[in-house]
Amino acid sequence: MLIIENLTKIYDNGFKALDRINLEIPDGQFVAIIGLSGSGKSTLLRCINRLIEPTEGRIIWNGVDITAASDDEVRQIRRHIGMIFQQFNLVKRSKVLTNVLSGRLGYTNSLYSFLNYFPKQDRQDALANLDRVGIRDQANKRASELSGGQQQRVGIARALMQEPELMLADEPVASLDPATSHSVMKYLELLNKEDGITVLCSLHFLSLARTYAHRVIALKGGILQFDGLPTEIDENRFKEIYGEEAIEVAIS
Amino acid sequence: MNRTPPSARVALRNLLIVLVITLAAGIYAYGWTVTDIDLEKPQDEQRQTNVQNALRELLSPRIFEQDRKIITTTTSFLMDCEGESPAAPESSDDPYVRVTPSCGKAGDVVTVEAFNFESGVQAGIRWAPVEGQRRPREVLETGRKEIIIDSTGDFKGQIEVPRISGSSGQIHQIEFLASIPSGPVRFSKITDEVIRRMAETIFMALVATSLSIPISAALSFFAAHNLMRPVRVPVGNLMMAIIALPIGWLIGVNVLAVIGREAINFFQGDLEVSVLSLLPIIGLGTVAASRSVVLLETPSLSHRLWAIGQQLVFALILSLLIGVIGGLSLVLGERLVDFADSIRPDNNVGLGNWLATAVVDGINGTGNLLNIIGGLIELSMNSIGGLIGAFILSSSVTNLTSGMLRSIAGVPAHLLGGVMGAINGVLVFAFVAEIAKSAALLSLLTPLAAALFAQQIVVLGHAAWRARQKKVVLSHVERIVRWLIALAAAATAFVITFIQLRVGRTVIDGTLPSLETIDIMGIEITLYLLNAMIIGGVLGSVFGLLAGTRQPFSIGNVLYNVTRNILNGLRSIEPLIMGIVFVIWVGIGPFAGVLALMLHSIASLGKLYSEQIETIDEGPIEALKATGAGHLQTIIYAVVPQIVPPYVAFTMYRWDINVRMSTIIGFVGGGGIGLLLNQQINLLRYRDAGVAVLAIAIVVSILDYASATIRERIT
Repeated sequence: MLIIENLTKIYDNGFKALDRINLEIPDGQFVAIIGLSGSGKSTLLRCINRLIEPTEGRIIWNGVDITAASDDEVRQIRRHIGMIFQQFNLVKRSKVLTNVLSGRLGYTNSLYSFLNYFPKQDRQDALANLDRVGIRDQANKRASELSGGQQQRVGIARALMQEPELMLADEPVASLDPATSHSVMKYLELLNKEDGITVLCSLHFLSLARTYAHRVIALKGGILQFDGLPTEIDENRFKEIYGEEAIEVAIS
Repeated sequence: MNRTPPSARVALRNLLIVLVITLAAGIYAYGWTVTDIDLEKPQDEQRQTNVQNALRELLSPRIFEQDRKIITTTTSFLMDCEGESPAAPESSDDPYVRVTPSCGKAGDVVTVEAFNFESGVQAGIRWAPVEGQRRPREVLETGRKEIIIDSTGDFKGQIEVPRISGSSGQIHQIEFLASIPSGPVRFSKITDEVIRRMAETIFMALVATSLSIPISAALSFFAAHNLMRPVRVPVGNLMMAIIALPIGWLIGVNVLAVIGREAINFFQGDLEVSVLSLLPIIGLGTVAASRSVVLLETPSLSHRLWAIGQQLVFALILSLLIGVIGGLSLVLGERLVDFADSIRPDNNVGLGNWLATAVVDGINGTGNLLNIIGGLIELSMNSIGGLIGAFILSSSVTNLTSGMLRSIAGVPAHLLGGVMGAINGVLVFAFVAEIAKSAALLSLLTPLAAALFAQQIVVLGHAAWRARQKKVVLSHVERIVRWLIALAAAATAFVITFIQLRVGRTVIDGTLPSLETIDIMGIEITLYLLNAMIIGGVLGSVFGLLAGTRQPFSIGNVLYNVTRNILNGLRSIEPLIMGIVFVIWVGIGPFAGVLALMLHSIASLGKLYSEQIETIDEGPIEALKATGAGHLQTIIYAVVPQIVPPYVAFTMYRWDINVRMSTIIGFVGGGGIGLLLNQQINLLRYRDAGVAVLAIAIVVSILDYASATIRERIT
């Protein structure tokens, strides 16, 4: 259970990215976060694993107050929260396998990582996770040699190495073409269904949210605009979220 | 809004342009005067001839040499025409010389002709009086410096009959000395010397560059703002760590360094015994290092204690190992040098012997290097032990107390912060004052530190006030007010410290601060140090009281600024100036040059490297942070792979620059080809200097090309 209470984030330049957000997300839910660019989607996701320090409010996950955790504790918590990114955030010059293994760093002693040593089990898991996202044969290529969709799957495999209970996905398909987008979303859906991982996924396209999400949260200017089922978003709601002039386009 | 008529505006603008141009002209005129530009000088004929000669010689480098044979052809001359004039030699196909007239008195101008010589041959004319009476003397043809036979193979010139007393009626000989090249053409002595010095130069650059790489690579991480800016630690942890540093240093010097030295002494003995006794140490080290690979979820206190115990054992083992390495290097180095001496061939005639000599030289060099490494470790064992002790104790204490510090909040946290801040201030200022008392310019460091502290206090105080007011956003006016207050506080602290420590006297007189001592409870302490420590204590306690123990402190920013400023300062001092200092320290020779280039390279590469870190893709860093990786792990897995290619490229570039620099560092005594070039120029041997200049041009352009190509390949 992830509980967000009164979460506010004001950046140093005075920009209010999140304004008193209250949410309760039960385990195992697939939640899509929609909204315009700059509506606070990324900030919300990054506050959850403290990549961004919230200004006010609390985030309580499985009974632990993330916002009050010390640096060491934050690292312990982050180990169970996977994250994938719009730009994939892989080390392009490193091998795919190394990229995947680096998801295990939180569990590895610094001294051993210094020597580039990972336990045998981790190496096996890395290959298994690559297998799961269908690119085991690419393990020894450089990450930069892979296509966008494949790179995002490496990102998923890296997050899987953490054995996450919660997956944060920040616009995971925004840099991909429609066909690849669906394949990446399907992997997220699979993790949600098979492993029971809670997924929080920010999306640009409402159609994707309708297809994959149990629940849709809409942000507008840092304020929670909508929280409900995907089917509840009709044309009026859509215009509330995206503005009067917006027209819904679907991704097929 | 603007109601000024257009014509007036245009006039105003034109006036402004005229003013700017006048000002620029004035500045330029001043520059013209101070740079002593004089267009007469380059037109002076004498100067033009000089520069032409110098350039001609520089562009005629003495690369090759050939032995010369002197062939002397003579003809007779009757002094004062008292007697029968010698007959003119008959014309023939062989080389011969004729003088007309063949008699005359001193001061007469006579014509000397030479026939059938090889064209281009250099020649000289000597006047040889009667044998056994006087030595022959050189006579110059009027108006010429040297004689060169023209393309016809003949020569015709005029000389003056020298004044030789009592020579009347004697037959003198006029010697025509033709210097004819003979024997094989070979590289000149100066070419040999230049090649040797050039090798020395290239290796100077190589050694200086490679020695600077690890240091500047390590520094570059501290000078990269994108890595350092997010590094924050709670003030309490930081203060705890600083308190532990000197204690750890003392323990390190008195325990770890002693162990290290014992190890050096022991392992310096018998090589076989040493190797055997190494095994259990390696075993013990493995045990100590085998911390669990997988990190525990929430380490309990006993786990923390166990980890700290392991860290202490690790410190012991590390000191021991460094000592072992030192001792082994010394003994192994000596063995290698002895071995090299024992198998050195008697001569290096022939290819086989030459190769064997090269191999023996290599072994000898390796032995010497090992000896130097061992000696260096032996020399710096105190500092090594101190540093290990300081860092291990500091991290252990921080680790152990961080939980306790986190649990304290409110007023007690601020009181504790005040006490720890006072101790910290005393320690920091004692350290700064130790440095500051060594030179007049450095003495400004203490007031500067006080100013920085005061500024931080204002920033902290403002942050606390903001937190109480729940103000998040700063208005523009508030920023300016805060800046002004911080400036005022910094200035006040600076002035008070300046006066209190009498820095003014130090700066004006260039003397060191007076070392008047005072006795406090049996401990003698200089008044200077005491004053500095009191100021530090006061500032530190205010800082601690305001900050408490939980406030995050951006230690990363401090480290970034300190590293950046040191690198920038070092970089602004030319290696030539550094070379002068190192020549004083280690004497004339390549070693001084290497040290100067190394220091400059550290600063320069540190800056270049850090700029590369600042331009990397930050995505992977964010991603790895999100997985729960630590700082060090993030750097190794997200930063290092991205910076390896540019680091290699910049290292090549630096080597290129260092070769260039090492060609001139010899001018201040730094060894290499510059030393040779300087000597030749001072001796006015421009043809020899030309060889050095040519060698520099060739090597630099080859390296330029090579480094550009390699850099292109990599990036």
